[in-house]
Amino acid sequence: MKTIQLLINGATHEVSIEADETLLQVLRNRLDLIGTKKGCDSGGCGCCSIQVDGKVVYSCMMYAVGAAGKAITTIEGLGNGGTNLDPLQQAFIEAGAVQCGYCTCGIIMNASELLATTKNPDEDQIRHAIAGNLCRCTGYTKIVDAIKLAATRIAG
Amino acid sequence: MALNLEDYYLPASLQEASTLLQRYGAGAMVVAGGTFVHGLEVRGLLSETVALVDISRLELRGISASGNGGISLKALTTLAEVGKAALISKNPAFGCIGDALRYPPRQILNVGTVGGCVAAAAPLYDLPAAFLALDGQVHASLAGTQRVIPLNDFFVGLFESALQRGEIITAIEIPAPAARTASAFLKLETNANDLSILNVAVRLTRDQAGKCTDCRIILGGGVGETYVRASSAEAALRGQAAGEASFAAAAAAVVADFEAVEDHRASAAYRRHIAQVYVRRTLATALSRLG
Repeated sequence: MKTIQLLINGATHEVSIEADETLLQVLRNRLDLIGTKKGCDSGGCGCCSIQVDGKVVYSCMMYAVGAAGKAITTIEGLGNGGTNLDPLQQAFIEAGAVQCGYCTCGIIMNASELLATTKNPDEDQIRHAIAGNLCRCTGYTKIVDAIKLAATRIAG
Repeated sequence: MALNLEDYYLPASLQEASTLLQRYGAGAMVVAGGTFVHGLEVRGLLSETVALVDISRLELRGISASGNGGISLKALTTLAEVGKAALISKNPAFGCIGDALRYPPRQILNVGTVGGCVAAAAPLYDLPAAFLALDGQVHASLAGTQRVIPLNDFFVGLFESALQRGEIITAIEIPAPAARTASAFLKLETNANDLSILNVAVRLTRDQAGKCTDCRIILGGGVGETYVRASSAEAALRGQAAGEASFAAAAAAVVADFEAVEDHRASAAYRRHIAQVYVRRTLATALSRLG
């Protein structure tokens, strides 16, 4: 076991973990941050997407030890204290972009990087950006609508 | 992941990383972005690995001009950073690099590294095919001793490179391209997260009269254990007027240059067919970039 410090959603967590635990395993199994989902567990589906230093990554492919000291953001870190939703979360509800919901958190964490770096992305940019996230329910149309809606609101 | 790791190291210097690699011998593996570890594990290739040496904290990041128009990409530069470099995106000779970065998802671009995608020695990867088309060279370090390995000699077999045990890639150098040179890359894939069915990377140089004076045609994806340099296709094009006729001749010749793989992604016959189509299209794209 190794004891490391992880900076998650602005708070420091000290955890004792095995050397081969992924960030996904530590988030879900040791810290109960279960908004991040386990899907394929091999970098193919995008359910486990989170941000590290503001960049979207697959948490199933990142070792927790290697993430020590970096700023980790999960879906629980969006919005404000769990009461005010992030514009993306609000837009996903309003646009009806959630069906089973399993892919939703990963897609929002991905879109959140896009909207932080690109003002008012067009449909091509949105579709290209979320190419690494699979959704087997919606057909993506409402997801793209939701990201557009959030982008419009953020741009004011 | 289900590895039997004793430890995971984050060395602060190349020297420290080398010492760890020497201490563990076959038991250690270098990781940077880490996205390839799973692929090796599911193929049963990490049963001896007891230590991961994560070099991502080393100061090996950035892209700079080198020599007379060449570029140097330090090993830990992420694929996303390569995609943003004006030194690359503004030069049609390096067009194949930008093309190759259009395919992987953001989550891979953000962590995958220049050195890592080359060290993986997997012909299914996109960016190394582009580096091969540009006659790239690998700079590697072993316990403080530097050496240069041309990419042409680097890929030995599937997941097998010319690197010695403990040797770490420090940079990929791309030599200065000749005047009137452009390049392009195309990938055929089933979806954004899948490995390639077939990749083609080309570099084309023409003289003032429009004749092709030099070219590279590189195949990747399901073409065998390593990337393939399509010498007969190149020979069909070199010395000819760069255009539809010579591109068609190169495309027809390419089937003699590789043994198409047959797998769940595509049949060998389909790969032979699509290789011709993609060679033609990639050359046309490169030519269009010459204006």
